[in-house]
Formats: sequence, structure tokens, C-alpha cells
Amino acid sequence: MKDLDLVSSESAQHWKKTLSDRLDPKWREDIDNFETDILLKKKGKIEDRVFAETRLRMGAYGQRYDNGHRHDGVEMKNIPFPTDLNKGPETKWDAPGMERIKLPWGGMTADQLDVMAELAEEYSDSILHITTRQDIQLHYIHIENCPSMFRRLAAVNITTREACGNSVRNVTACPIAGVCREEAFDITGYANAVFKYLLGHPDVQDFGRKFKIALSGCKHNPCGLTNIHDLGLTAVARPQPDGTVKRGFEYVVGGGLGAVTYDAKLFSDFVPEEEVLALTQATCRVYARLGEKKKRHRARIKFLVADMGIDKFREAVLEERAKLPNDPRWTDFLATLPKFEEKPLREAGKGIPKTDDAAFDFWCLTNVYPQKQDGFVTVTITLPMGDITSNQARALSDIARKYVKDTMRTTVEQNIVMRWVSEADLYNVYNDLKLIDLAEPGAASIVDITACPGTDTCKLGVSSSRGLAAELRTRLAVKFVEMDEAVRNLRIKVSGCFNSCGQQHIADIGFYGISRNVAGYIVPHFQMVLGGQFTNNGGSYGLATGGIASKAIPAVVDKLLDMYLKGKQKGEIFRAWVERTGKGVIMQSLADVSAVPAYDTDKSYYTDWGSVREYNVKDKGMGECAGEVVSLTEFGLKAADREIFDAQLKYDTGDIKAAGDKAYKAMLLAAQGLVKMFNIDISEDPEKVMAEFRERFYDSKLFFDPIAGPTYANFYFGGHDARNEILDKEKAGRRLKEAQIFLEACHNCNLRMSMGANKGKVGILADAGSKSDSKA
Amino acid sequence: MNLQYLNWKIHLENPAQAEPDEWFKVLSTWIPDAPEIFIDVADYKHVPDGPVTLLVGHYVNYSLDATGRQLGLLYDYKHPMDGTNEEKIRSSLLGLLRVAKRLEDDAGFHAGKPKFKAGEIRFIVNSRAIAPNSPETLEAVKPDLVKVLEKAFGVGGFTLDRPADPRQRFSVDVTAKGTPVLADLIKRLA
Repeated sequence: MKDLDLVSSESAQHWKKTLSDRLDPKWREDIDNFETDILLKKKGKIEDRVFAETRLRMGAYGQRYDNGHRHDGVEMKNIPFPTDLNKGPETKWDAPGMERIKLPWGGMTADQLDVMAELAEEYSDSILHITTRQDIQLHYIHIENCPSMFRRLAAVNITTREACGNSVRNVTACPIAGVCREEAFDITGYANAVFKYLLGHPDVQDFGRKFKIALSGCKHNPCGLTNIHDLGLTAVARPQPDGTVKRGFEYVVGGGLGAVTYDAKLFSDFVPEEEVLALTQATCRVYARLGEKKKRHRARIKFLVADMGIDKFREAVLEERAKLPNDPRWTDFLATLPKFEEKPLREAGKGIPKTDDAAFDFWCLTNVYPQKQDGFVTVTITLPMGDITSNQARALSDIARKYVKDTMRTTVEQNIVMRWVSEADLYNVYNDLKLIDLAEPGAASIVDITACPGTDTCKLGVSSSRGLAAELRTRLAVKFVEMDEAVRNLRIKVSGCFNSCGQQHIADIGFYGISRNVAGYIVPHFQMVLGGQFTNNGGSYGLATGGIASKAIPAVVDKLLDMYLKGKQKGEIFRAWVERTGKGVIMQSLADVSAVPAYDTDKSYYTDWGSVREYNVKDKGMGECAGEVVSLTEFGLKAADREIFDAQLKYDTGDIKAAGDKAYKAMLLAAQGLVKMFNIDISEDPEKVMAEFRERFYDSKLFFDPIAGPTYANFYFGGHDARNEILDKEKAGRRLKEAQIFLEACHNCNLRMSMGANKGKVGILADAGSKSDSKA
Repeated sequence: MNLQYLNWKIHLENPAQAEPDEWFKVLSTWIPDAPEIFIDVADYKHVPDGPVTLLVGHYVNYSLDATGRQLGLLYDYKHPMDGTNEEKIRSSLLGLLRVAKRLEDDAGFHAGKPKFKAGEIRFIVNSRAIAPNSPETLEAVKPDLVKVLEKAFGVGGFTLDRPADPRQRFSVDVTAKGTPVLADLIKRLA
């Protein structure tokens, strides 16, 4: 079989050639750089963990079995991938991975959905999976196909940058913003501003872990889930004495799910709209500066807020805010808010059409939301397990084009909403959706089960969350129509492990994957979490009540629902019933349906849902949620390596000027990278980089090679002085060589310092981030 | 045109009998100790008009596939192949037919034992860059495709039809005259 070279394949070159001119220049540069990183990695020029964080920051995530091992139910087997190359620590180059596509505030156009459908067909498995953070994920992707995917996405204004890794993840928001009857105001434009402002911002490149932001238009609904986020912004319209209304946000920080849930802390009950970006920037800077970097399990902002206390945290952020130099973008976006006001494609209706179609009526009951704009509704398209096929996606785009103006959004319940449907069109929309199997009722109900990928594709999965969700959904759907309303409106959420991607802590009935030893056999189990609150933006967390074998869960859920219906007092919600009844009593009552039969009696309990292999936990790998902690210096040096690689290519093709310029730029980037050990705000200005490099590394002799002394620094100084000279081929060649040696010296310097050879001479990173006044 | 990313689909004679769970079990047994590089089996029976049960490989994916609402076996060669276009078409078609035969013969199937329509197959190029779905692409592909199909079905033994939706990938439906048998086709192409 032929060794792969997908980056230079005819198909990849086609997209590069035809699309490059259409891309945002910055996004194009990001993609070109990533493509170069792939080539450099294949040549062994980039460390595994640095490449891992690089790809994560472009949304390219690992997937189960990517360490090259798979347990077949009897024993662990190697997967003989063709190359020994890695794309991260213990992550095989050829192993399929997942690509996460960021959709800020869940917004997507019909054209964008069409492109994602094409990508799913050509590079994935024709399935688009919607996540609980409004992203779309494609699975089974080869890393070398990513640049082509990125170009095709960028051509329709989608970036995957910072979709994973230690970065600001997708900025999520209420999917009915702008049409909600209860919102303070439409938060779409604000969510977009937060996304745009922070994307690639220098202040968010040095986090110890990921950082998630959500916006909501109101306090009491669950659409935005601000309380479970690192930073949550809830719209507040505050009446002023002069009769006007001032817009702002309630600002909460440090909420989070994960293994141990944290309640968000109120930072301010009102941050004026013009202050939101500045304060968010200051919050990010404090998190980057003071947040944990080494112990990943303590590196989210929730730990920092808890450790400092909200008052001290607030004080630190406000102090940081006061130091920030003014950025016009903080308020420029306010003028762009009107462009987020959507318009309908069709005339307003006059009520939902009367039909004798009972299925339509029931669908209207669960999947149709009357907008605040008279005559229009928002339709929820329920997607089982968040999945939609390429053909369905394309057909859905056509329906959207026919009835609305690009007003689709993904939801945190892994569905899609289509807004601005005229009531007059509703029955036609329903019938069109029905033709493509997307008119299933039950949105936001007990059958609309949220599930993370779990053991299907996730490296961290312990139990099969999708398998369990599918089974529960199938069983509950049968009796859905007849269900008591109190039960019908409950939420079930399932995660494959304690990391809570399925958001089980805020479900009425939640599950997360665990395993248990039963008489010497490992049995797939789920921890049951009862009584979480999905409303009030994920207002409170449920109680872990005990582990239940996966295969026993359907019977347990049936009995639990029955107990609730029989035992609840008038108007008593599920959470209140759980609290009143007590988890001891509940678990005791479930004992008869949750017992695990002996292996010889019923082997089915020893195999997980959606699997034919006897259960084991050996397929679990190292997670990549945490990303790799890669310093800004390492990123700087990698950028320099990329630049020198490009310089050599230019030289080889006879572009002498570009070769000379790029060779100098490589030295500049490397020097800048080193300086970032002390000052993360180092300017882009070559003179300032030179001055600071000279002061911190040359005058201090930190840079001096043990044998060659200052020689290599002089290559940079010489290159800097001559950077505007027109070089002939010979001089350009010399500069290239000098730049390569300087880069090697920079890597060696970084290595010496990170190994502590200079310990005591400098306080590495001790004051990093404190020089906000040096911003260019 | 350098053809790559070749897919073939062969339809089931007995789609109503297909049991995704059976396919899941059978395809799972193909993974251990396979000469090919297989990774896992994915279950998508909850969605229509796409893959149902998918055996994910490094070079090739095999799936029970319902795309276009037609149930069949999809053979998806994912990486660039060497050789002339004719060779690539021949070897990938042979790959499909061999997998179809293996499935028909697999003792792991019970109620839903598959039986394929050997005379009804679809050729797909899974790259809009290489093969936009246009009459021009058909003209470019046709000579090599016909050469291979003539080996399988005989001269004049089939008709070709290109579904015209420009948003879909380039594909050609091949309908054989008569009722060819899988084993014979394999013998002729091997």
C-alpha cells in the first residue's frame, strides 16, 4: 500500500488553489500554517505534544483507539497503522480523529450546512453530530485532510480555530435569542462580539485549560446554561430614571460540571454592554496569569475562583481591567448589533393551520415555539443523539431556503431550530420535514435524550452513553404520547464518563459512565444523578445516588418514573420529590430491578449497550480535553520553524527576496518567543523585540551558548540591521543558514532554561502577563 | 483526470430482511486478526438516508448503507490509490464484490442473511474536487469505466446512468442486462 500524502493530493491542491483567495487573510494564514506544521511534523521537526496542542487549537481532536490498541473482548490487539509517526503523545498519525467545527451562538446558514454535509461525506462518515455546546463534530477523519476541510469551511465563514485545546471554546448562546418572548434583549450580536474579539486574541493563548463562555437572554430558561460555564452572561435590561433602558449583563464566573460540580459565583449583577468585552478580557488575563498550569485537574477557572474567593478574584480582575489600554473594539461592535436583527422570508401567518392530522398537532405541542413576533414560530428539529446525515442536512438546507432566511441554530440539546417560520407555512414545513424523517415530536422532553459520544468514539468513555440513550429513547418513545405531562417534560442526560459532556448534573435523571467489579467480572455501570435543574440556566446540580448496571437502567428508569407519578404531591416537581423522598429510599426501592445477575445466569449484563464485545475498560485512553500545556515560547519557536521552512521553499523556487525576508522573520519570531517567557505582551514591532531580546537574553548572557558564546545572537542582530537590504542569492542563502543556526540556539536556550540550568537567574514566568502597558 | 476516492455500492435484493444488529455483530467479528486495518464498528441505525452499520477501516470502510433510501453495501476506498484509472476502477470494484460475497457467505447472519443484486451497482467518486457531478466528468470517466464493466458484464451487457443533482457527488448507476452472479463477476475481474 502507498504511503499517504493527503496534503499534496490533487484534491487538497484543488481546494487550496480555488479557495485561498476567498478566505479571510488571517484565517488563511492559520490554515497555511497548520498545513506547514503537518509537513514539519512528518519530517520530525515538531515535538508530539506541541503538535497535539497545535492541532487541538484547530479543532482536530483524538478519538478512541488512536493509541493503536483495541481490546477485542478477549485480549488487547494492536492496530497496525502504516506509519510509526504520532500526532500527539501516544496518538498514531494514521488513526482517525474527530474534527470539531465551532458554530458561534449555534448560528448557521443553509450554505454552511451544505458545506458541512459535503465534508461529512468526503472526509468523515456522512454523519454530522451536534454537541451540547452547539458545535458540529465529524468523526473518523485523517489529520492530513484537515487543511482542505478548514479551507472549505473558511470559504463559508466558519473557523475551527480554538475549537479544542486550552483556549476559549465556542461561545454558546440561547438559540431562540431575538425571538424569545421572555428575553431582556437579543444577545446574538453580543455573543458574536465576544467570539470575534477573543478569537486568536493574545491574552487567551496561555491558559492552563479550556475556557467556556455562554450568553443567555433571560435568567429562568435553560437555553443558554450560563450557570454551568466558566463565564456566563445573562442579559439584563435596566430601566433608567430618564425612561430609557440600559442594557447590560449579569456576570457570573467559575461555574462548571466535570467530576466535581461548581456553582457559578456572581461577579456583578450588572456589567454595562460597553464594558463586557473589556471585563471579559481582564478576566481572561487574570485566569491566564494566576490559573493553574501544571495540575490539569485543578486548572479550570472554577478552581481559581474557589481558591481565591469571589471577592479577591473580582478585585484582581478589576485591577487588571483598570490597567488595560483602551481598545476601540470594546464598543465598536455596538454599532453592528442591528445587523443581527433577523427578518422573515414570508408573510406572518394568522394562527397555526387547523388540520385533522393528530401527529401534526402533537408535533406542534412539543416542537413549535410561538415567537414574540406575531404570526411566526420557531420549529425544533429533533435529532436522535444529535445526529443528522449528509443527505438530510442538504434537504434541511433546502427547506430553510424555502421558508426562512438563513435562521437556523444548533441547540445545547443537540437539536436544530429553524426560526421565523410563518404560521401559515407550518403544516407545509412539517410535511417537508416528515419526508426527510426530521419531523419527530418530543423536543425538550424525556425522549429528547442528550448523550455525549462516550465509548463510541471518545478516548475517555467508560460506558456507552449513546448506546444507553438510544435504548432509553426507543423504549420511552413507544409510550410517549400517553405519558403524564409531569413525566413527559423531564430531561434525561447521559455522559460516558464523569467529565460531563452530556451535562448529566443538570438533568432530572442523569447518568455518567463508571465500571464495577461484580464477582470478578468488570460490568458496565452508570452513576445515576437525580434532581438536577435544567431550567434557570442550569440552576442547580443533581444528587449522585448510586451505580447501576447499564443493562438494568431501562427497568430502573421505568420504575423510577412510576414511583414519581404515584408518590408525588400535587404540583410537585421531580427534583422536589427526589429531595423529599431521599436517595436512600429511592435506591432501596430500585434494588429489585437493579441487581446484576451472575455471569453464568445472564451474560448480557457483562456487555455494554451497542457492543458485542465483553466489557472491559482497557480501551480507555488519555483524554485531550485538557490539551497539552505548551508555553507561548514553544508556540513562538514553532512559528519560527514554520517560517524558516517556508523561507527554504522560497529560496529553492528562486524567490530570493521572500526567502531573505522570511529568514529574518523566523529569527524575529524565535526571539519574540523567548522574550515571552518574561513578557507575554511583547510587541510585534521588530525594534522592540530586538531591544527586549538584547536586554533579557544577550546582556544577561542567558542566550549564550556554552561553547559558541554570543555568536548565534549576532546572526539575529546582523539580520535585523540588514533586514531592509535587497539580498542577492548568495547573501540570502547565508541569511537562511544563519537563521537556521539562530533558531537552533533559541531551542537550546529554551531547553536549558526549562531544565532549570538558569534557575535562580530569572524568575521564569513569575511576572509574565503583568506588563499590560507594553501592548503595541 | 486522476481518479481517487472510489466508492461502489451494491444493493440488497432483500432489504426488508436486513438486521442492522446482525450486521453489527458480523462486522465486529471481522476486526480481530484481519489482514486489513480495521478500527471499529459504528452504529447509526437511528438515522435514515445514510450509513446504518459501518466498519471503519484505515484504507476502506464497509457499511450497510441506506443513502438515497436504498439499502446496500457501500465500499468506500478512502485513500489515494496507485495505478491507471482502469486499474483503480477494476481493483475497487473487485474489492466490493469480494466483500459482498464474503457477507453472503458469512455464517454469522441468520434471519437477515444478505443477498445482493449483482446487476445493480453504483459507482461514486467521493471527491467533488476531482470529479464534480457533471456530464464532462462522465465523459472523462466513461472509457475506463466501460472497459472494466465490459470485463464484468460483457460488451453491451449493461447500461449507465448518471444521477444529475449537482450537489451530490459524481456517481454512475450501472444496471446489468440479465441476472449476473457475484462469483462469476469476481472471476472475470480477478
